[in-house]
Amino acid sequence: MIISAWISIAALIWCIAFLVSYLIGLIRKGAPKDLSERSGNTVKGIIYSNTGAMLPAAKESAYMHLPTYTAGMIFHIGNFLSLLMFVWIIVCCCCNISTPAVLALILAALLTVSSLCGIFILIKRFVNVNLRSISCFDDFFSNIICTLFQIAGICIMLSFSNICTYTDACSADRLCLMNFYFIVAAILFIWMPLGKIKHLIYYFAARYHLGFFYGWRNTWPPKHI
Amino acid sequence: MKANLASDSKFQTHLNACVRCGLCATSCMYYIAFKDPKYIPGRKVNLVSSIYRRYFTPEGKYFPSLFNARNLDAEMAEEMVDCLFGGCTMCGRCVKHCSIGVDVSYIVKKGREMLAVMGLVPKTLQATVDAAINTGNNMAIPTEEFVDTIKWMEEELQDEMGDPKANIPLDETNRHIIYTLNPREPKFFPLSISAMAKVFYAAGESWTLSSKYYDVTNYGFFNGNNEEAAKIAGYLYDETHRLKADKLVLGECGHGSRASRWEGPNLLKKAYDFEMTTALELMAEYIRTGRIKVDKTKNQTLCTLHDPCNLVRNGGLLEEMRFVVKSCVANFVEMTPHGNDNFCCGGGGGQLAMSEYNERRLKIGGIKANQIKATGAKIVITPCHNCVDQLMQINHTYKLGVTIKTVAEIVADALVLPDPASPHDNPADTAAETVADPLHTDSNSSK
Repeated sequence: MIISAWISIAALIWCIAFLVSYLIGLIRKGAPKDLSERSGNTVKGIIYSNTGAMLPAAKESAYMHLPTYTAGMIFHIGNFLSLLMFVWIIVCCCCNISTPAVLALILAALLTVSSLCGIFILIKRFVNVNLRSISCFDDFFSNIICTLFQIAGICIMLSFSNICTYTDACSADRLCLMNFYFIVAAILFIWMPLGKIKHLIYYFAARYHLGFFYGWRNTWPPKHI
Repeated sequence: MKANLASDSKFQTHLNACVRCGLCATSCMYYIAFKDPKYIPGRKVNLVSSIYRRYFTPEGKYFPSLFNARNLDAEMAEEMVDCLFGGCTMCGRCVKHCSIGVDVSYIVKKGREMLAVMGLVPKTLQATVDAAINTGNNMAIPTEEFVDTIKWMEEELQDEMGDPKANIPLDETNRHIIYTLNPREPKFFPLSISAMAKVFYAAGESWTLSSKYYDVTNYGFFNGNNEEAAKIAGYLYDETHRLKADKLVLGECGHGSRASRWEGPNLLKKAYDFEMTTALELMAEYIRTGRIKVDKTKNQTLCTLHDPCNLVRNGGLLEEMRFVVKSCVANFVEMTPHGNDNFCCGGGGGQLAMSEYNERRLKIGGIKANQIKATGAKIVITPCHNCVDQLMQINHTYKLGVTIKTVAEIVADALVLPDPASPHDNPADTAAETVADPLHTDSNSSK
């Protein structure tokens, strides 16, 4: 494997180590403690928090902002897809195999849509005065690096499908592209546990806490009146 | 404080979960009313999280500008006071609608705790807390004045019921219930006390008020000083024990109910060893069990309901409230939105106690005014005296021409009272019997 691939793997290990330490930190702090008399069902509350409460119809942040909400959802799907694709590319590099052309094209198409959504959200953050007023470097950079990671993934998929394998990067251009991809991946993995992308872990904890809170008080699951 | 924050899983979770997407803006009544980005809930979270990042994380410590980690200086503190005290009712509407699920009101409360440690609580709010701590009630009503008011209401009750045995017991021990009030009731709305007394009379309930610690409110929940909040919560806890009551019934006050029912045991760090419920739940139980009879045709005027945030979204009483109200009124219309999505009246989060933010409070109240107008209702019912106060001011400011009533008042108006002349139907006698109930006597003596 080329050296940039090794760098990105090292960055991934750094990233996982941090994220796992965050997760362990949360777990070690334990479940919420509440001495008041429970009125509802916390398990049902937590389940609802991660299901019904996440439906677009349940949240103003979704149904009042459908274009942004949709773009956000697609962008997040693209991010997860990119992460899985990174693992696949590393496997391909190690095992000297290639991605089937059809699969590569499908992945590239999906990532094109999601990266466009990422660009849309980024532009909105730059253009919208309100959004800009609550943004910092981290907000812009996190979006840029994720979008770039997706775009780099598209390039890799289009260039290295079954035309040739990853290890015999047959031209200087392709080698350059590989380096670009792995360097972007490395930056993303280094940034992830430091910047706001760490909500990857905290999002699930937030849904848990919210479900517990509303479940304990019998607010969730909601009652039909 | 630092150690508490570092060990608080919920705090760390919500601080790190916010991605500043800004989609919460349109769920916040401050933002809707003012269109000022400083009121975006995500920005309020960011104020607190920027402090957290600066002092608790290496990245914030060494690269503050990259992660918006800010020093807690005078300028920052002033901004926090303005936004966290003066720009949030802690209603939790944005929490429910947050795309991630960030508990903004919890973070705002933590921010207020930081400010309280620095002695930056708005003076008016602190004065309210001080009054409660020093006198037992937030309006510093002298005991003599309170007792006079209660005696006056008792006479009114006896006249209305035509029953000299109808009473409003004070400082009685071994009663089933100790009932609590919002001090606004004896001070400004004594008829709401007699309304609840009428309900108790009709139910034949064994109950009492305390002449000293009757205040259900707890502004310590809003000023960010948990020690003071615990002290105030402790007053009701201790008084329930002193009067040897079985059950603490929290009067019609949203935040007061929350502060005792949900926060009290956590503030005092112990589970309560007596039952605790809200007046709303108690009235629902009376109606369900047939202990009181109500006739909805007695309330013919079109009514609507304002959901207090601390009882509904943060208290789970959505159904109970509607059950009671719909049992007692013939014509009812919901506001849009309502229930868990309802807008705060604008007086929550201690806003009513902070006169420096009056203008803002009334401006955000315009949202509620529009909701009320749209229903066409002539009576607005709400089981919260703070909401009543704010709604009355909204009513005046926006010339709504509606009447604001508590749930107890609506129930009292709908009561079908037994004939006091009949010995078997006399609730006062039933109350006396209930007091003598060996079951209650046993449980009391075991305390």
